Amino acid sequence: MVFIFGGAYQGKTDFARQAFSLAEGDIFSCSGTEIDFSRRCVDNIENFTLACTHAGIDPVEYFRAHRGEWEKCILICRDMFCGVVPMGAETRAWRQDTGRLTQYLSREAERVSRIFCGLEQRLK
Amino acid sequence: MKAFISGGAKNGKTTLGQDLAVYLAAGGTHYYVATMISADAEDDERIRRHIADRAGLGFETIECPRHILSCLDTADRNGVFLLDSVTALLQNEIFPPGKNYAPDLPAAERCMRELLKFVRSVRSAVLVSDYIFSDAGEYDPMTERYRRALAGIDRMLARECDTVVELAAGRRIVHKGVLPF
Repeated sequence: MVFIFGGAYQGKTDFARQAFSLAEGDIFSCSGTEIDFSRRCVDNIENFTLACTHAGIDPVEYFRAHRGEWEKCILICRDMFCGVVPMGAETRAWRQDTGRLTQYLSREAERVSRIFCGLEQRLK
Repeated sequence: MKAFISGGAKNGKTTLGQDLAVYLAAGGTHYYVATMISADAEDDERIRRHIADRAGLGFETIECPRHILSCLDTADRNGVFLLDSVTALLQNEIFPPGKNYAPDLPAAERCMRELLKFVRSVRSAVLVSDYIFSDAGEYDPMTERYRRALAGIDRMLARECDTVVELAAGRRIVHKGVLPF
């Protein structure tokens, strides 16, 4: 599994498209609490974690339960961890859940890339 | 050489930009392209501090808070240009102080085109931006448009420049190319 993360609008999806020759149909963009792991790439994982926070689902447990399905995937998530602690309780919970998930995915990944202004910084 | 510098606030981006511009000028002409428009006494103090910081470094200051290409009307394109900062330039373009900060969203596209032309027109440039993209803040739609536009410009500049450096805790992370010192 390849884990790609980086700040908002940094060109994470474009990088993945180019680096792994992805077609549009290869990319699943998260919007709810279910992920289609049959695609080569799962994008916007932060939308999945937000839906999980709303629904009271633990996103790390979800990924553990589907482990066999994403081991060959390219997973993309937004880095949202450098600002001040958010005022809203729900945003705090979302940030925390997403942070736990990104740490888990970083541990499990064969390769971790951070995208900065469209450029790759290889962290693992 | 063209260099792009970004990173969080208070990490030494301007200092590195100044040092790099002076080095690249090698005794020749180097310009400090000042973009900030003072809105109050706090801004006045920041500007005063910036001027003091670069005193004795030999910069010629060009005031250019908007329309970046206008600074080429009088400047020598073979000089070294330190643009500090892309963030303030875009802010002045999208939220023009002269028009009571009323948002001018098409200005973002124009600013990007002009910056591209600027970078390609000069021999050496050091461009300083601000990395404001890794938080969980929820912004109003206008601020979000500004963030997206700034990121687009940053990515364009990172493509165009030979060297891309991020500063974190004052340390340099070189994402592309090399620094000469």
